[in-house]
Formats: sequence, C-alpha cells, structure tokens
Amino acid sequence: MTTTLQIGSELRSAPRPMTRERMRWYVDAQPTVAHDDGRIHTQDPTIHDDDDYARKQGLPGIISDGMISTNWIMGLLFDTFGRAVAGKGRLRTKYIAPIYEDQIVISVARVTAATQTPEGETAYQFDVWCEDDTGKKLTVGEALVYAPAR
Amino acid sequence: MATGKYVSDLDVGDKIGPVEYTMSAFVVREYSHANELHHEFLQGIDNPIAPPTLVHLDKLRLYRHGCPLGTGPSARIHYEYDATIHAEVPVGEKLSVSGEVIERYQKKGRDYVVMTIDLRRASDGKLLIAYRDTAILAYRGADSAAA
Repeated sequence: MTTTLQIGSELRSAPRPMTRERMRWYVDAQPTVAHDDGRIHTQDPTIHDDDDYARKQGLPGIISDGMISTNWIMGLLFDTFGRAVAGKGRLRTKYIAPIYEDQIVISVARVTAATQTPEGETAYQFDVWCEDDTGKKLTVGEALVYAPAR
Repeated sequence: MATGKYVSDLDVGDKIGPVEYTMSAFVVREYSHANELHHEFLQGIDNPIAPPTLVHLDKLRLYRHGCPLGTGPSARIHYEYDATIHAEVPVGEKLSVSGEVIERYQKKGRDYVVMTIDLRRASDGKLLIAYRDTAILAYRGADSAAA
C-alpha cells in the first residue's frame, strides 16, 4: 500500500457513536485475551460497562476505555498505510476528556512533517486526535508512520 | 518494593516480570474485532500479526503477575498510551514482557503512575515494542482527564 500526503493533509474517519456495546466489547476483550482459551470471558463491573459502578466512582455514567479511541486512530492509520504501521513507528495518545455513551467520535490524523529515509521510506509525522461532532477534542497525540517506498 | 500487593501500591523502582507467553490467533482476532480493526493482516488466516496496541493488555498481564490482590480501593483509569514499534509481533511468536515503574506523582489530588513495558521476542530478546503507560491509580470524578 502506498500513499502520498502533504504537510497539512488530513485523514478523517467516518463518525461513530460510542455505544454501550462498543464499550462492552473492549471490557470483555480484556479477560478474554487474558484467558486465551477460545471462549468469551467477562469481568466484574467497571466504569466502562456498569452505570451504578461508574456513579459510585463520581462519574455521571459509563465512559469509554481510552484504548478504544487509541485503536480507532490506529485503525485510521491502518486504513491508509496498511500493515507497515504495525512494523515500525510510534503512536502516543492522551485522554483529555471522557467519552460518554452515544457520544459521536471522529478520528483524525493531520500531517505535520514528511521526510525521506535512507531506506526510501517516507516518514510521516502526524498530530492525531479524536473529536466529537462539535469539534471538541477528546483524545490527542502524535504518530510516526513509515510509508514504504513505491 | 510494592509488588505482590495491590496495583495502587506500585511505586518507583518496582519491576514486574519477565512474563512469557505465546501470541495466539484467537487473542489477535478477538482484540481486533473488539476494536473494529477488520484488516486482513490482523484477522486473516495466513500469517496474521498483532495490532501494536495490544501491548496495552501486557500491562494488565504484568499487574496480574505482580499485584495479585487487584486494583485497590478506587477505579484505575488509563491516561496516556505511548508505544514505539520496532518490529511486527507475529501470531505464534513466543514473547517476553517486563515492566518497571519509573515515576509516581500527585497532580490535582490524583496519583499518577508511569510504567515502561518492553515486549521482546523470547528467543533472542529482540525488542519489538517499547511501551510507556500512564495511569491514574485513584480516580474520582469526571471533571478533567478521563478515559
């Protein structure tokens, strides 16, 4: 997969609502990965899947696990650059605002630098973030992606 | 040394691991599916690789290993993910993961813990992913950072 982008070029995902189900998929994935026995496992109540528990922790209701937005940003980079993203590079994300049930989330990556490596790759620096449908940033960070030579 | 107790007891200098395991196709597909990463190189059947973000669950693997009593009195919340990818993590690879708490500080009444985690190929120690995780150990309220 080859891609040519300019400084300022922006990649944007389709808007996705952070539904209760999406939050629970990530909650259940954690013990399922831990057991690694081919079956789905669940866990005790968390702030991501149990409103009562979330309220006891001072929240108005469940909020999403930050790693969902990190993975959605990773998915945007996969969509554009393919598996090269999984072999070399960097992704940093910081969760600056909670994402509540049914809040709309859009993943964005904007090119801030593009340089050629001695190996012929293009090293793209991105500002990355997730925003809601009002443009409020929820998750922010940076990414470094090495696009293979054509 | 605060290992062997609760995650909330972790302190600077605490080391957990190494813990060895083998990356399975089931784990990769399950995690990828949960995060809607429907890419052939993750969920296909021919030589799949792991999404690099899966390294975050190695932190939980290390917590289970080093802090068997669990989270502690309050919900723990993830604040920052920072992973440098050095090589692909193939399904079927035997891996070794280790972690070290490098920073613990208070900010606005909350306890933050920074942990570095190295994911290596078990056979020769090659570094595959270097991960730096920041978590809030005693999270209360939604007035600022939350995820």
